[in-house]
Amino acid sequence: MNRTIVISQILVIEQAPGWLVAALNHAIIAGVLLIGGAITMMLQVWVERRLIARMQDRLGPNRVGPEGILQSIADGIKMFTKEDIIPRAADRWVHLLAPIVALAPIAMMLAVLPWGRGLVAVDLEVGVLYIAAVSSISGVGLMMAGWGSRNTFALLGAMRSIAQLIAYEIPLIIALLGIVLLTGGMSLARMPELQAGIPLFGSSIPGAPDLGLGWFIFTPVGLLGGIIFFICALAEGERTPFDIPEADSEIVAGYMTEYSGMKFAVFYIAQYLLNFALAVLSAVVFLGGWQGPGVAWLADAGLGAAASLLSLLWLLLKAWGLFMLMVVIRAAVPRLRVDQLMSFAWKYLLPLALVNVASAALWVGLTEWSSIEWGNLLPVDGLAPWQRIGVAALVTAVINLGATRWVLRINRAPAAAPVVVPA
Amino acid sequence: MSSEQQPGVIVVDRGHPATRDGRGLVRGIGVVLRHLRDAFGPRLERPEQTSGVFTVQYPEERTPLPEASRNLPILLFDDDSGHELCTSCYQCERICPPQVIHITQARDPASGKAVPAIDEFILEYDACMSCGLCAEVCPFDAIKMDHAFELSTATRDPLTVDRVGLARPVSYYAQLAPQAWAEARDGAMKKLQGSRRRRTGTVGMTPARAAPAPADAPAAPIADAAPAGEPAGGEPVPASDAKAARLAAIRARNAAATDAPAPDAAPAPAGEPVGGEPMPAGDAKAARLAAIRARNAARQREGGDA
Ligand code: SF4
Ligand code: SF4
Repeated sequence: MNRTIVISQILVIEQAPGWLVAALNHAIIAGVLLIGGAITMMLQVWVERRLIARMQDRLGPNRVGPEGILQSIADGIKMFTKEDIIPRAADRWVHLLAPIVALAPIAMMLAVLPWGRGLVAVDLEVGVLYIAAVSSISGVGLMMAGWGSRNTFALLGAMRSIAQLIAYEIPLIIALLGIVLLTGGMSLARMPELQAGIPLFGSSIPGAPDLGLGWFIFTPVGLLGGIIFFICALAEGERTPFDIPEADSEIVAGYMTEYSGMKFAVFYIAQYLLNFALAVLSAVVFLGGWQGPGVAWLADAGLGAAASLLSLLWLLLKAWGLFMLMVVIRAAVPRLRVDQLMSFAWKYLLPLALVNVASAALWVGLTEWSSIEWGNLLPVDGLAPWQRIGVAALVTAVINLGATRWVLRINRAPAAAPVVVPA
Repeated sequence: MSSEQQPGVIVVDRGHPATRDGRGLVRGIGVVLRHLRDAFGPRLERPEQTSGVFTVQYPEERTPLPEASRNLPILLFDDDSGHELCTSCYQCERICPPQVIHITQARDPASGKAVPAIDEFILEYDACMSCGLCAEVCPFDAIKMDHAFELSTATRDPLTVDRVGLARPVSYYAQLAPQAWAEARDGAMKKLQGSRRRRTGTVGMTPARAAPAPADAPAAPIADAAPAGEPAGGEPVPASDAKAARLAAIRARNAAATDAPAPDAAPAPAGEPVGGEPMPAGDAKAARLAAIRARNAARQREGGDA
């Protein structure tokens, strides 16, 4: 299976020296990713504003271009022409570098995401680790912004964002860890390939058609992990209800308070790009990535390019679906308090994520170990792979469900006295 | 819905108790999606509706203004005779809190006696605060509040409006506020009859009717008296300088009138405000006005002495 399309083969520049080909490769891929990122961000802003407006019984921006689709461009021009204000007390260089430090790691995340069948810019063996490492760098940018601005609100916002990022990074990575156990590797590019087949059983039943629906979200481990991951992604991306770092009704705009013009726009882009990258990541890890009905069929029919295109469409569809879900949640849920934020991360998500890793380990044991590895305690050898998956699904479902109920129950606040509404 | 409804109170039953374990989130998403669906349905117009888009796309769509809506004052004249209802009683000038109304009374050309009509009536739209006190106090229903509100201009000159710019026919106001005019009409018209008996010639007639319009005259304001459409003083007025000069003259004369008994006959140094109201220093406009005023006052006093 060709994991990467080598651009030089497409361009047929055989005589060129190797370093030039490599440089061109990287430049073209980076250009496509970054331009695509910018366009995606503009579309995201427009979609979000229009959708939220309808949910709030308004119309939203509908003047610039057909249905207001060019509104983001108008906003961009406004940002460009705005005065760049640096507070006199600010640390000039830290203030200047902060947006860059916040945006760069997010743009780097785009590199390892598998965008389609065979469409991945860099196929890292340790993709998950890379994502975890790189995504936490942008927190440094936020802290630089808050600290460099010399503004109390900005500093408060930065502190909140660091507290939030650290608290939610842990369950996020542990949720990913469960899937790493299932796939037996950290390569993001391989994850979609392992999610072929039919729901739950994947490609374990001989003769079953490859629908491209063997998504991890259909397994108990993947379901719990996916929910935890998505909630953490909301927090990492500072989406409502976790938009505490920039709670505009409390602390102006958090770490962005002292930013204007393009520097502000860079933060803005970083935020939406991060949201999109996290949506793509959720789709890749839990929703089968580019897998979907028809991809395998096209590939088998020898239409590799069409299969790649369809797989890209599937991925974008899933990612946009998740982004829409983020928008709907933003419209529906009010902002949490800081203490609620913290207790949610440490009391609910972290224990559940740990239980989920244990379930994942059990799943691997039940589906892949031989009886000898089990010390002849479990006669698993006699079962067909799909039977073993069924057993594993049952066991992990019971564990995860029980753990969820238990965590919800022990954290339940004592029932409040009924509120008497004056007639 | 509760069974016993008070009139004017709309009860919306949200009908769910406290929720937990994420059910609140699910319910919230349900509410949001219902609003999303309904936003593509009928507009939100009735108060008991809880969803539907309520946006009014302003320049194309407009909500009708209520009859009592008020923005800036206009002066009424009788459609048939062209006579203005105003009698120069100065009530509005006195009550106007920011003092933006400036009136001179008309005189009989033959006898020189004051008649119940205006010679000039200047209103500074840019400083008017739309309080409506002038319309409230006017005993002759001569000054009324207009609905036009789209008055933005690049310069402030068009916002100093004179008798010509303020004139609107009674029929225009009757269309703006039918109910209010129905109540006021009989009294106002009777008082106008009384005033007209003491006016001679074209005194007290709105200028557009008093003189046959010269060929190069700017379009009469009556022509653009469409309801809430054109800005009342919006069109660039070439005579704005003349208007400003006349305004300054009125102010200066009034200032001189209050200042007349002052013992020192020496010409007041130009630039020093003469007259009752202290002007805020540093305000260029105020300074300019004060200078004109002082100069005129001094000139007038000298003329009186000679
Ligand atoms: S509306 Fe008020 S401020 Fe305006 S002219 Fe009348 S009295 Fe003066
Ligand atoms: S507008 Fe009315 S209050 Fe003002 S001077 Fe004329 S008649 Fe008197």
